[in-house]
Amino acid sequence: MKIQGLKLTQFKNYDSGQFVFSERLNCFVGKNGMGKTNLLDAIYYLCMCKSHRGVNDRNVVKHSTEFFRLEGYFLNEKKIEKKSKSKIKIVAKVQPGKNKEIEKDDVAYQKLSEHIGMIPVVIIVPDDTLMATEGSEERRRFLDNTLSQLDGDYLKNLITYNKILKQRNSALKKFAETRSFNAELVDIYDQQLIGPAQVIFEKRKEFINSFRPVFKEFYQDISSGQEKIDCIYSSSLKYGDFANQLKESREKDRILTRTTCGIHKDDLVFRIETHLLRKFGSQGQLKSYVLSMKLAQYDFLKKNHISNPILLMDDIFDKLDEGRVQQLIKLILEKNFGQVFITDTHENRVEEIIKNFATDYKKFYIENGELKE
Amino acid sequence: MNFTSKLVQESVEAFSSLPGIGKKSALRLVLYLMNQPKETTHDFTAALINMRENIKTCSNCHNISDTEICGVCSDPRRDRSVLCVVENIRDVMAIEDTGQYRGMYHVLGGVISPIEGIGPSDLNINSLESRLEKEETKEVIMAVSPTIEGDTTIFYISKKLKDMAVKVSTIARGVSFGGELEYADELTLGRSIVARIPYQIKGE
Repeated sequence: MKIQGLKLTQFKNYDSGQFVFSERLNCFVGKNGMGKTNLLDAIYYLCMCKSHRGVNDRNVVKHSTEFFRLEGYFLNEKKIEKKSKSKIKIVAKVQPGKNKEIEKDDVAYQKLSEHIGMIPVVIIVPDDTLMATEGSEERRRFLDNTLSQLDGDYLKNLITYNKILKQRNSALKKFAETRSFNAELVDIYDQQLIGPAQVIFEKRKEFINSFRPVFKEFYQDISSGQEKIDCIYSSSLKYGDFANQLKESREKDRILTRTTCGIHKDDLVFRIETHLLRKFGSQGQLKSYVLSMKLAQYDFLKKNHISNPILLMDDIFDKLDEGRVQQLIKLILEKNFGQVFITDTHENRVEEIIKNFATDYKKFYIENGELKE
Repeated sequence: MNFTSKLVQESVEAFSSLPGIGKKSALRLVLYLMNQPKETTHDFTAALINMRENIKTCSNCHNISDTEICGVCSDPRRDRSVLCVVENIRDVMAIEDTGQYRGMYHVLGGVISPIEGIGPSDLNINSLESRLEKEETKEVIMAVSPTIEGDTTIFYISKKLKDMAVKVSTIARGVSFGGELEYADELTLGRSIVARIPYQIKGE
């Protein structure tokens, strides 16, 4: 999948803007705070129906305006039938406080989840290191982001699981307030949770198994380091029957008024040699680690999705020195990555590197939310 | 809006306090009533007052009723062997309008949703149980919304009724009549395929 054109209205610091992209490589250059990352976010929004850092739509709308609108013109190139190309228009109309509307070829989706996965996308940002340093939520977000783009069934089960979980927790809170307990109702929530939990667990497990070797390979390519790294899936469902676990932790759940076991507690354990990356990894290792995760995510989506993902890379020089960036760009261009977007603060740095490769590319100079020719 | 008459203003405000009616529609209604004979307004308000003063909830099925026991519950021609469990009174009206059902009803008053502060004890589940104990019901039809909360409710009630000698069924879920397959959403279509039914040749 490729994006050929983008129109923005009142999106972040853009009042209005219009872009025509290269189908291969696009660079947004400009000083800090000019709106380079916002362009990546606009493309991401059209793919995933939300801003990439889970920012509330109220903060996506341009300051002191009421709504924003994004219009993307995509080219659908399926990998199998090379000749079948079709154009798709995606429009996002968002007025915070009201239902957001996403339209495909002028027809609004009934459910946003139907859109997710149609345009696969991977975004690489400096903040990715949070995945290694913050709580498990960030790592589950990574799992969910990858799998829901590939597998509609995964996303459906995840939505169902989260809804039931919310009801179960609300029920537990209500019981605590009223000093009562309805074991029958909790029984039913437990039984309703088991089905989706099992599906999600199996799919996550299977994903990590095929993801690990690719990830390790990327790490070696980027870091040229010899240290052994690994990424291990940890879930309470590995250790026996989920139904029993729910039963055993019921008393605990009742006291804490929330559900203490289940796939919403899953985690990925990042290891370097035999240590935890979070505790013993250097800054450089941390950055290389999460970058490899993202590139492997890209590779995984590319292999398993019917169309090539769009790759969005924000400020890669933050992560790597110039030599490594050169290596990375070489990797991207050689490994036949699809359409790529890069942002950089130095006008000519990326260009110098790209010059060495004969490839089609386009440079956009961004200043104060506007494109300067 | 500026009114020269306080009387008009008050009645406009009264109308526009109703859902779905704005100031302009309210004014139109008020002006209409003003130009009609006085009896029209008298009859109109009398009907409303009478409704509000005398409307009751059926003590048996919790449907709205003019009497202690509603028309459905007291009708001897209705089939007492089937009982249809619905969320609210509007569902009763919708099913009655189909003309396909001649059994009894039981209005729950909602579905189990702790997020909205509705637990099983806030619904008419206990009265359903005591009804089933004394009535000659053979089958309970769950006509509850096909949502996660609806499922929870059906599940909960079915478990409560497990030891009673009644059959529990749910209304069919699937592709709508007169609809086209390609426009049905995946979940509905998927369920319809899984829960397919044997075809019966007409007239046999």
